[in-house]
Parts: sequence; C-alpha cells; structure tokens
Amino acid sequence: MTLHAYLFVALVLFCVGLYGLIERRSLVAMLISLELMLAAVSLNVVAITSLRGGASSVGQVVALILIGVAAAEGAIALSLFVAIQREVQSINVEHLSELKG
Amino acid sequence: MTGATLAALLAQGAPLLACAAVLLALRARPRLAAGVAILGMAVSFAAAGWLAVTVAAPARHLLAQWPFLPVDASHALAFGVLLDPLSTVMALVVATVTLAVMIYSTGYMAGDPGFGRYFGFLALFGWAMQGLVLAANLLQTLVFWELVGLASFLLIGFWFDRPAPAAAARKAFLMTRVGDVGFLLGVLLLIRALGLATIPDVVAAAAPGGALTARQVTIAAALLLMGVIGKSAQGPLFTWLPDAMEGPTPVSALLHSATMVAAGVYLVARLHPLFMAAPAVMHVLLWMSVVTALAAATMAMVASDIKRVLAYSSISQLGYMLMALAAGGAAAGFFHLVTHAGFKALLFLAAGVFIHHAHSNEMAEISARAPRSQRAGVIGLVAGSAALAGIIPFAGYFSKEAILAAVGTGGSRTVLALAYLGAGLTAYYAFRMVFLTLVPGVAAHGAADGGPEGPAARGQGTSAGDRAMDVTVLALAALTLVLGYLGPWLAVRLAPGAAFVPPFAFGGGSAAALALVAAGVALAWWEFGRRGAPRIGFLERVPAVARFCADNWYLDRLYRATVIRWAGALSRAAHWNDRTVVDGATDGIASATVGGGRLLALLQSGYVQVYLAIALTLVAALAYVLAGLGGAR
Repeated sequence: MTLHAYLFVALVLFCVGLYGLIERRSLVAMLISLELMLAAVSLNVVAITSLRGGASSVGQVVALILIGVAAAEGAIALSLFVAIQREVQSINVEHLSELKG
Repeated sequence: MTGATLAALLAQGAPLLACAAVLLALRARPRLAAGVAILGMAVSFAAAGWLAVTVAAPARHLLAQWPFLPVDASHALAFGVLLDPLSTVMALVVATVTLAVMIYSTGYMAGDPGFGRYFGFLALFGWAMQGLVLAANLLQTLVFWELVGLASFLLIGFWFDRPAPAAAARKAFLMTRVGDVGFLLGVLLLIRALGLATIPDVVAAAAPGGALTARQVTIAAALLLMGVIGKSAQGPLFTWLPDAMEGPTPVSALLHSATMVAAGVYLVARLHPLFMAAPAVMHVLLWMSVVTALAAATMAMVASDIKRVLAYSSISQLGYMLMALAAGGAAAGFFHLVTHAGFKALLFLAAGVFIHHAHSNEMAEISARAPRSQRAGVIGLVAGSAALAGIIPFAGYFSKEAILAAVGTGGSRTVLALAYLGAGLTAYYAFRMVFLTLVPGVAAHGAADGGPEGPAARGQGTSAGDRAMDVTVLALAALTLVLGYLGPWLAVRLAPGAAFVPPFAFGGGSAAALALVAAGVALAWWEFGRRGAPRIGFLERVPAVARFCADNWYLDRLYRATVIRWAGALSRAAHWNDRTVVDGATDGIASATVGGGRLLALLQSGYVQVYLAIALTLVAALAYVLAGLGGAR
C-alpha cells in the first residue's frame, strides 16, 4: 500500500466529517462528524511518519495525544449538550440562535 | 510676631471666622447669626482701633510677611500685612462702617427669610475689605480685590429670586471684571519685571532710578488703573453702580462708602508714588475723573429714586477723590475718602429709614408719607447732605477744600474751574434730594404698590430694630461733624513735607467754593423747597436733556448697541459652530458607527453551521490564493 492510498482514505474521512459537521442539525451528530475529521488527521500523521522513514514513533505519540484530546473534547462537549438540553429542551442547532445579530 | 501684626491678623481673622460660622452653621438661626457677625466685626473694629492708635498715630511703617512656597528665595508669593497710617486708618474706617451697617441691618432686615445668610455675606465683605486694605503684596491685594467683588455680587443680588437684583448683580460682576483683567495684567507685568510684588518694593522700584523703566511704569500704571476705574465706577465703566441699588439699602451704604468702590481709590492711594511716576496716565485720570464727576452730578440732578441720587453722587465724589490723587494730593484724596465714607454711609442709612417706612424708593412717595415723623432719618439726611454739599462745619467741606487746593496746585486752570462747578452742582442735587424728600408733596400714585423693597414691607420693624437704626444714624451724623478735623492729622502722616491748607484758612478759593455751594442750595430751594415751588429742576425742563441724564448719558444703550451686540453675535456664531460643526462631527461618527454595526450584524445569523461554512469558504479561498502565490514563486 502506498502513502497515497492512506492519504486518500484520510481525505474521504475528512470530507465525510466536514459534510456531516455542516449538514447534520443534531449536536451529537456534529460531534461524531468532528471526531471523524480528527481521525482523518491522526491517520495522516501516522501514515506520513511511518511510510516516509524517519522517527515513526513521533507520529504514533502525536496520534495517541490526539486520541486523548478527542476523548476529553468529547466528554466536555457531551456534558455541554446535556446542559443545553436541560436549558432549552433541544439539541437541534437551528434552535440555538440567541447570538443572531 | 509683634503686637501690631497680631492685631492686623485679628482684624482680618475675626470677620472670616464669623462669616464661616454664620454661613456653615447658623443660617437657620437669624438672631444668633447676627450676634456672631456683629461680634466678629466688633473684634475687628477693636483691633483696627488699636492699630490706628499704635501705628498710625506715631506714623510707624511695619511690614511683616511670610513666604508661601518659597521658590529660589523669591518673595513673589509672600503673604503678610503692611501697616502704615494709610492702611490702618482705612482699616478703622472699614471696620466702623461695616459695624454700623451690621447694627443698622438688625432693624432694617428684620423678618427677612435670608437674615442669617445676609449677615454671613456682610462678614465676608468685612473680611475681604480688611484683607485688601492690610495686604502687603499685590497678589494678595488681587485675591481680596476679587473677594470684595464676589461679596458685592452676593449682596447686590441678595434678593436673587427677583429678576432686577439678579441682573444688577450680574452687571456689577461683569463690568468690574472688565477692569479687573487690566489689574491682573498689571500685577503680572510687575511680577515679571521685578520678580516680586511686595507693595513697598514695587513703589521703590517705580521711583526714578528704580528697577523699572519709565515705559514699564507707565504701562503698569495704565493697566492697574483699568482695575481702579472698574471698581470705583469711573469713566466708561460706571453704569453698574446705579443698578447696584437693587440690593438692600444697608448694602448700598456699605458698598458706596468704605468697601468696594473705595477699594479702587484706596489702591491708587496705596500705590500713589507708582502712579505719580507715570504722569501721562495721571493726566488721563485727572480728565476722566473730572468728566465723571460732572456727568454723574447731572445724572443725580434728574433722578427721582433717592438711592439713585445717592449712587450718582457716590460716582461723582469718587471722581473728586481720584481727581485729587491724580493731581498729586494723596492726603487730600484719602481724606475725602474717609469723610465720604462717613457721610455717604449716613446718607444711605438715613434714606433707608424713610424707605423702610414708606416702602418705596421714590422721593415723591416718601414725601407723601409724613417723612418728618422719622426724626433720626431727618437729622441724618440733612447732616449727610450738608456734608455732601460741603457746608462749612460738616466733614465734606474740609475734605472738598483740600481736594480743590490739591487740584489748584497740581491741575490745570480748566480742571480747577470744572471742579468748582462740580462743587456747586453737588450742593444743588444734595438739597434737591432733601427738599424733594422732606417737603410734603402729593404722591404720584395713591397707594404704594409694595415698591422695590419687598422685605421691608414684609418685616414690620420691631421697636428694638427701629431703635438700632436710629442710634446708628445719629452716631454717624455726629461723626460727620468730627471727621473734618482729621485732615491735618492725616496730611502729616500721609504726605509729610507737602503743603496742606489748614481747615479754617479762608482764602479766595474757599470763598468761591462756599459761594457756589450757597448758590446751589439757593437754586434747589427756589425750585423745590419754597412754598408753591414747581418741583421741577432746570435740567428736567428740557425733556431731551432729562432723558439723556436719567439714562446714564445713554452709555448703557451705547454698550447694548455695540459691545453687547457684538458679543451676542460672536456667541451666536460660537453656538452655531458648537451645534453644527463640533456636535455634527461627533454625532456623525457615532451614527456612522451605529449604522456600520447594523450592517455587519446582518452577517450574524446565529446558526453555527453558517459560520462554519463561511470559515470554510474563507480558508479554502486563502488556500487557493496561497497556492497561487506558491506557484508564482
């Protein structure tokens, strides 16, 4: 497998995540899409560092950190969603437009 | 600190303490306020009297001063007291008149709702004037000069809820301010040239061979003189004084005799050597004061309001004082200031007795209301008028003789002739006032409509108050008989070595003056006093002349048509500039900001995914541009 195949998969993942982030109206679905985009980035980092020679461990460490960050982000985001749900009885982003100018 | 210095500080400090106590704590307790103010002034009177005995009698000269914020050992800011015969005698005069006015006011102002405030202001006036008189430094003089102006503003506008007194107070304040600008510039010029403003040093520097050049002396004298003509209501700046009659009558007595207007004359006497070192300025002053004295006399000859007659006579007499000073007679001018303080206070207080009972300032009204039942008032008015006219045993005769002698030696023949003419006119208008007031006539309109002296009508004086007024008037009347003999005593101390005519030396001059005075009195009797008199003066027979004189020689109209109109146009232009240009600019910036915000707010849809899409588009555009740039490289 060449590097290009990895990069292509990552690109697809990223675009799917981006589409989901813009298209889905549920906050939870948007969070899932965001996680997909993060996964695409992790895949890129790991693929590039291990297939282009050099210190592949650096890429693995970065990927692990990214996973940790994603987990923390997920925890915070989900707790926010719960709070929002309690406040406005909805997690549909179309109902969350208090900052309209 | 010597006893004299301490006494001088006490003379200033006691009225200040009284003023602070009355205005801060005792305004709601009128009797106590009056008591405290009178006590403070009495202490000042005692201190001034002691000073007159210990400093003026042996003709000592003392200067005590303390540097304030000493900057490179300069004494420009040194405050202290200057004690010599001039200042101590003046301090005694100020204290006497202020005390007399305060005692009189307990009767005159009884029942006025602002009784406590009134006494606080009187004490403020006393303090300011004592500070001015005893000041050792021109800067100090300037401070108290302005305080005197403030006090007279407050007292002229004492009944500020009525439009006329409020306008008169504003006018007095603004017109004297015109002159005060010159005074301030003069003091600054002296400080710049000398580095100090201590009065004896300034006088020494102005002497020939002193630190000041002749040019500097002339400019400084001219500038200081501006302050004097504003304060002493001379020349073009006199019109505030007749309007100042809107204040309570005792205030007029104070304002016209020993304080405020006297401040200008006192300053000239204080700095007399400096002014004499500028002969051109003195020449102008001589002519201006002669013209003012005669002009004010013609105005007094047609006025129908007793207080206005007295106001014009004050302007005229101040003209006489400045005339003597300009002609070189320091002692004569100051002597007239002292005697005038006595008889003018007396005249106003006597007029106040009538006004208090007739509830009107109009002489026709007063004469219709049994004026002769007010014994003290009659005595005071006649004695004061005799002194004003210069009839022989009264104080005014001696000081006017001294002035005419000084003008005879120092002035030209024309000026002397005009001064004699003024003496005759003075006798005429003084006795016109006496006859119009005291000879019973028919009131112009039957029932008095309250008159301008409302509070007098409100507070029917108690018998104790009336007694206070009568006692003050009688005491001052006695004083007019005594003060005239002070002349030689003052002359020896103020102008040692100068020739001074002794009081009873009858020469051709005094005979001519007495003849003119007699003629003036006789004419007044013929026109106003005799049975079946027409009660119309010779000036009043020509309506145009009467209007001209009654309207301040149309000076107020002239000012209204020129200075006030120009100032009005200028301020309207400034108003337009402020409203349209300055406000327009700031309002424009503000509304542009608001409008811009409104426009930008349209971008804020509130939907997070729209923001995301926008961010994404922008990032894509940026990436495209950067890629293009990279390709170009």
